[in-house]
Amino acid sequence: MRDVVRTVLRARTAVALPGDGRPDGEAVDAGALIGALAAAGRRVGKAALALDAAETERLRAAGVDWPIATRLDELWRIAALLDAVADPGFARLVADAYRGGDSDERCAVLRTLPLLPEPERFAPLAADACRSSVRPIFEAIACENPFPARHLSALHFNQMILKALFLEVPLARVRGLDGRRGDELTRMARDYAAERRAAGRPVSADLAALAAEVCA
Amino acid sequence: MRLFDPHIHMTSRTTDDYQAMAAAGIVAVVEPAFWVGQPRTHVGTFEDGFASLVGWERFRASQFGIRHYCTLALNPKEANDPSLVEGVLALLPRWLEKESVVAVGEVGFDDQTPDEERVFARQLELARAHDLPVLVHTPHRDKKRGTERSLALVREARFPEERVLIDHNNEETLPLVLATGCWAAHSIYPDTKMDEERMVALIQRYGAERIVINSAADWGISDPLKVPKTAARMRERGVDEQTIETVVWRNPLAFFAQSGRLDVAALEAEPAVDQRQLYAGNSVLRAGREPVVRR
Repeated sequence: MRDVVRTVLRARTAVALPGDGRPDGEAVDAGALIGALAAAGRRVGKAALALDAAETERLRAAGVDWPIATRLDELWRIAALLDAVADPGFARLVADAYRGGDSDERCAVLRTLPLLPEPERFAPLAADACRSSVRPIFEAIACENPFPARHLSALHFNQMILKALFLEVPLARVRGLDGRRGDELTRMARDYAAERRAAGRPVSADLAALAAEVCA
Repeated sequence: MRLFDPHIHMTSRTTDDYQAMAAAGIVAVVEPAFWVGQPRTHVGTFEDGFASLVGWERFRASQFGIRHYCTLALNPKEANDPSLVEGVLALLPRWLEKESVVAVGEVGFDDQTPDEERVFARQLELARAHDLPVLVHTPHRDKKRGTERSLALVREARFPEERVLIDHNNEETLPLVLATGCWAAHSIYPDTKMDEERMVALIQRYGAERIVINSAADWGISDPLKVPKTAARMRERGVDEQTIETVVWRNPLAFFAQSGRLDVAALEAEPAVDQRQLYAGNSVLRAGREPVVRR
């Protein structure tokens, strides 16, 4: 999968990745990687990422059946992180990249999570991102990202859905919602719909459907 | 009429806001420690934040004739960061003793996680130990359940309900709060939470007892004049003056006076202003501006 990502990236930019030329088994230069993540937007530009049919198919064959990245700099950051995945300090590096990252860097880290081995170790980071009030950061974890449905606890997944409703993020963008629906989420949606009606506010189609008030 | 805004994040507001608030009759504010938008990653950032609330911000308010009090706590959102919890809780005892601290807060729930509940309960004990009332934030998401859980936690801890102010109520949570001995605050916001018209309807239905309003103005879209604007709307809708005064002055004063740290007599008097003063060498004035002095 790392190779597919690199191929897609290389078709668009020749800007070197921090891991280029590093022999297998050699330690990652964490400082260089962190710096490169910050500079990616300036180095490779922020062109929107549009994949052709062959690329989409290659990614799908590698298990990536969601839009892997929104922009070229994001894909470059994802590739840079994937290069470091075998490093013993990788989990700490991911945490540091998120903690010290600006919004674009944080989004890239969140879009990298579903591509990583033992992804469940990053569930606390993902739950923290769901609490962000920065909309692009919230969307990077909640939308077109399979991580939450696969790895978040019911508590955190349900809170994420409520927050998506709060921010009016279309629930169609949340992957795997149907498989995570349950009585508690329905109860929360019903309470939220009642709260909005008591306040004289409209109830969206997404909210009504989740509250099982109309056929979804 | 004197006005009290018992929940406003002045740190995020400008001196224009202070001037407009003073002109509208606001003479006292309570600024709760809360989330600052950008997540904090060091315990030391909290300590500087607490110092700012009892120091620089208090001075800044005084320069406009507004008395500034604060509430301190580890907020529910950041209670989920294990690298912060113990460090911030260990800081609090020292800062809770400062004279302008009139409650522990905002405590409460955000995502309603077990960590949030544990930190909430521990801060109730801190409030008891420091003889302070408590300001409880209620969550945006799953609000009714979060309010029920907060009230249950207060009850289980046997914390005196009359020393608890439950914040950000709406039509569904207010009756739950009034059924206990806790006080109920309402944040009047431009778009979310509660607006002036709905607030008037709640006062007309439930009366003024234990009811408080605030602007909760912060770094987002919010309005530091929502307390005077809601008072004006109540007047337009025929709410009597005594009820209005109870909501915007007597109630917040009575609630926070339970801390023993509000000088009620001084609050009733005209506040003195002396813009010639400096704080750590800094003035709120900029070059060439004539200081206001009012005694």
